Amino acid sequence: MSKFSTHRIRAIAKKEVVEFVRDWRTIMAIIVIPLLMFPLLFILFPILLESEAAELDALELTVIVQSNSFEESMEQAIIGAGIEVVKESLEHQSQLSEPGNDLERVRNGSVDAILRVEKVNSTWDYAILRLSTSERSNEAWNRLLDALNTWEEEEVERRISDSGMDVNSTLNPLRWDGDVTQSDVATSGEQAGMVLSLFIPLVLAIWTYSSALQPSIDMTAGERERGTLEALLCLPCTRLELLLGKWVAVATITGVGVILQIFGLLFAIGYLASSSVIGLPELSITTVALIVGAILLFAIMVVAIELALAMRSHSVKEAGSILAPMLLLIVFPALFTQVINLDGIESYWFAVPVVNILLALRELLMNRVIPEHIFVWALSSIVYAGLAAYYASRQFSREDIVTSLS
Amino acid sequence: MQPLLTLTRVSKSFGDLHALTEIDLKINSGEIIGLVGSNGAGKTTLLRLMAGVYTPTSGKVLLADGKPVSDMRQVLGVVPESTGLYSRLTAWENIRYHSRMHGVSDEDAWARTAKFAQHLDMVESLGRHTKGFSRGMRQKTALLRALAHGPSILLLDEPTAGLDITSARTVRRLVDQLKREGGTVIYSTHQLSEAQQVCDRIVIVHNGDIRADGAPELLLEQTQTTSLEEAYVALTNDAARPRQEDNEGEGRFTGWWRRFFTPKPPMLETKEVRESE
Repeated sequence: MSKFSTHRIRAIAKKEVVEFVRDWRTIMAIIVIPLLMFPLLFILFPILLESEAAELDALELTVIVQSNSFEESMEQAIIGAGIEVVKESLEHQSQLSEPGNDLERVRNGSVDAILRVEKVNSTWDYAILRLSTSERSNEAWNRLLDALNTWEEEEVERRISDSGMDVNSTLNPLRWDGDVTQSDVATSGEQAGMVLSLFIPLVLAIWTYSSALQPSIDMTAGERERGTLEALLCLPCTRLELLLGKWVAVATITGVGVILQIFGLLFAIGYLASSSVIGLPELSITTVALIVGAILLFAIMVVAIELALAMRSHSVKEAGSILAPMLLLIVFPALFTQVINLDGIESYWFAVPVVNILLALRELLMNRVIPEHIFVWALSSIVYAGLAAYYASRQFSREDIVTSLS
Repeated sequence: MQPLLTLTRVSKSFGDLHALTEIDLKINSGEIIGLVGSNGAGKTTLLRLMAGVYTPTSGKVLLADGKPVSDMRQVLGVVPESTGLYSRLTAWENIRYHSRMHGVSDEDAWARTAKFAQHLDMVESLGRHTKGFSRGMRQKTALLRALAHGPSILLLDEPTAGLDITSARTVRRLVDQLKREGGTVIYSTHQLSEAQQVCDRIVIVHNGDIRADGAPELLLEQTQTTSLEEAYVALTNDAARPRQEDNEGEGRFTGWWRRFFTPKPPMLETKEVRESE
């Protein structure tokens, strides 16, 4: 038996991929969902939010206004906010915010909110009773606040004017001159990179881990559970070839998923760029190559660890219960990485496992190519990927993998 | 007969369990050898050592030319007890996968598969996914898979277990045909009558030892009995131990955890109460 054969590795990988994609649920998981995830998130979700907002705007709301002295201009401001006003006299309350006898009316939805206004000399005290778990009541609360703020501004201006002062110079002694966006010297591409760097590394890291999860378990613990591994181990292939074949298969499936997700993301960004919500990031060819390299190193490490741990398990259930909670080992560093300030960051951060790749992706998406950082994350990632591959090869060399629960 | 494979003082242990103890066995080319024994006797461990899947704890498993047994895999065909078929692949794809791993072209593998499939009445089923296959069809497919690359040694672990009478007979005929073609077959089974029909030589394995090794007539002579069944009982009169798989795979913590959540059967509890009283 020759020690190493790419022909056999190819045969193993091909069989694994063919067998895996014959399950329609897999196609959904690795093609349809990754392709649609970002477009749905970036395009459909805002559309849904807009339609929800429009629906709220169209609501006809009824609010009871209780006061000891009704102010005509205030009432007009409330009606102007699309609210039907029902007037009632204000009963005595120790505090206006105390619901008292009105509690049940607001809770059972017979009224959307109750505004209590009490004139005390030249000022007004007020409180709004609402049910925070009701969309209608919340909308009434928001519209009332807007209307009251508008009325208050007009009242302030009127009082300043009545006292003989200039309204504008009194209220705005300090004023910005010009366009705020014009004063930012960062290009729109850099700004887009900054925004994307806050979530793209997180999503890529989580997706790489989670999309490798199912194939890793199926090709190792699954084979063991179904009793197919023994026949395979009797074939003229080394355990290393077996590991490499399965690694190539899992990496291919994961790679397809991640690439499709990136396509979906680029499509969504392109759509948003055309609507001027976000610009396209400015990335050089070198930066793109480094991003691909960083993801590849991360994938080598993650897939090797998942294959190794799944191979240690006696069943699919056992492998799942070990590997699924391990996603937290990706999520926590990923969340932590989001709050690290990249300006003047110490180089040792780029040697911390998982954090290094996530920081590298953040930096590269902002088009910051810093040779020292690249050297540290590339070297440390190669070491970690090598250690993970070594660990996986040890697990694949175990004798007990031949035994199966079936 | 040319010597093919030699096991010298081979022992295999799994933790505290000694699956095989200082086994000596010689396999000659062209022989059909039946490994007979109860569950947990060590038959499967012996087959796995011969296939190079297990490494002996002590002793040597070598080919006649002194090469390690893993070098034999190129000419080895194996039908494990579990058959090991991929349910999302067709029968032919299962067979082709193993042939490709042996470096055999698809054309050659198909020619051999078609020839044996006719004997096993499997031609029509080769294009079907194995998911819905009966136990017998799975066994036949595994057998075709083991034969497709033209092996000179065949390791069969309980090949007729779960098969109906006709299918079991077909498998035995196929083994007989292989013998005529000069192949070597190592055949593990529970059934003495089957071993007697198929094999030139019977090796009785019991509790990790080889209790007898020879032609059926020789075993009768050795044990002074008139039937192989009596011979087997005479040679294996000590109680059989549990299978290796029954003891395997539970760490100390896992074992403790499992026991904590496992209630005792009422019978045992009553017994304990009586004893304590």
